[in-house]
Amino acid sequence: MLVPILSRQIKSTLNKSLPKSLSCSQFHTSTTKNFDIPFLKQIPQPPGYIIGTVNDAYISPHASKTHGSLHWTVERIIAIGLVPLATVPFITGSFAPVLDSILATSVLAHSWIGFQACIIDYIPKRVYGKQHDYAMYLLSLGTLIASYGIYLIEKDVGLTGLIAKIWTGKKEEEK
Amino acid sequence: MFAFKRSIISLRSPLSRGLATTTEKPSLIKKFKIYRWSPDKPSEKPHLQEYQVDLNDCGPMILDAIIKIKNEQDPTLTFRRSCREGICGSCAMNIGGRNTLACLCRIDRDVKKDTKIYPLPHMFVVRDLVPDLTHFYKQYKSIQPYLQRDSIPEDGKENLQSVEDRKKLDGLYECILCACCSTSCPSYWWNQQEYLGPAVLMQAYRWLIDSRDQAGRVRREMLENSMSMYRCHTILNCTRTCPKGLNPGKAIAEVKKQLAFA
Repeated sequence: MLVPILSRQIKSTLNKSLPKSLSCSQFHTSTTKNFDIPFLKQIPQPPGYIIGTVNDAYISPHASKTHGSLHWTVERIIAIGLVPLATVPFITGSFAPVLDSILATSVLAHSWIGFQACIIDYIPKRVYGKQHDYAMYLLSLGTLIASYGIYLIEKDVGLTGLIAKIWTGKKEEEK
Repeated sequence: MFAFKRSIISLRSPLSRGLATTTEKPSLIKKFKIYRWSPDKPSEKPHLQEYQVDLNDCGPMILDAIIKIKNEQDPTLTFRRSCREGICGSCAMNIGGRNTLACLCRIDRDVKKDTKIYPLPHMFVVRDLVPDLTHFYKQYKSIQPYLQRDSIPEDGKENLQSVEDRKKLDGLYECILCACCSTSCPSYWWNQQEYLGPAVLMQAYRWLIDSRDQAGRVRREMLENSMSMYRCHTILNCTRTCPKGLNPGKAIAEVKKQLAFA
């Protein structure tokens, strides 16, 4: 029984002598070294990552299906769909413009979702604030430009045709 | 509750507890390099301190060795330990680059190699091998790890469960919350403030599939955002490191499946 009594005493003296936010931070003199991005300002985090008191439960972000399960499902459907879309034209050698444009848009969507995950992981809003939004805007801009590029390619030889052209060094008509 | 379980061992113990008795075996000196950092000297950087232990005069596990060091060489060495049989989860630490329980980890008897012991990675360190698990427990609390029902059981006494339904909980309820898996997860390293981590998510699944529980909708809704669960990128370090041989990676995949088709 010595330990719980002791810790209760410590707690009570701490609560008396220190404001709530400090009472736990006193124990956290160590700091973590995380993945830092140079030149980006970071928002300082609470000591020990503790928001509220030590006895409050973690509060999850606002529920949203588009950021949660729906996002995940779409991500998986695109990823699985890409497998036949990417392999069939190369095995059969057939070249359907509609399928090809679906492939090109899926590749774009796949990379958009992928980069989005990278931004959420490494430039989290919690730490980088507005810079997280700017990174997302930059990604959207890049995706828009890329989609215009895909439009140009689809008008011409299509993604499959372009790869075939680079691979063989010949134009589709010459084959 | 956890204050009991994870009481920090920093008091000097005057008597060393007898381990295996040895009879004139040649000494087998093994070097242990142990992470040291004390909040009493905040200006001093953390460092590895070397200790030498005769393996022929010591129990077989890492925990035996560090208890021996604390008893005989350096009483300031601080770590958590309690049950010494892998059921309390107190002695979780990073041994030889792998998160595991010191009491379940055998000492490598190859004395040419030294064994490095660190606290659980990417956690705030309270002292030496003692990480701060406050946030981890706050996360565990948030998934409401208890039975929730709207209706009272039919016989008015107990909530019954079929044998099959009970079987679903096997491989989940054994988790001792040692935090080995969560602290081995890179996603948890970068975003532990918002990402719940494998240990807590596995417990979320444990309550989601409990046939007696009726709060599934609320439990699922809590995970419906980009941070709480979907930061899991199926790296599967969690499953690899679990000292109890559980599979948190699979549990998270099952929760994702439930959310996708719910």
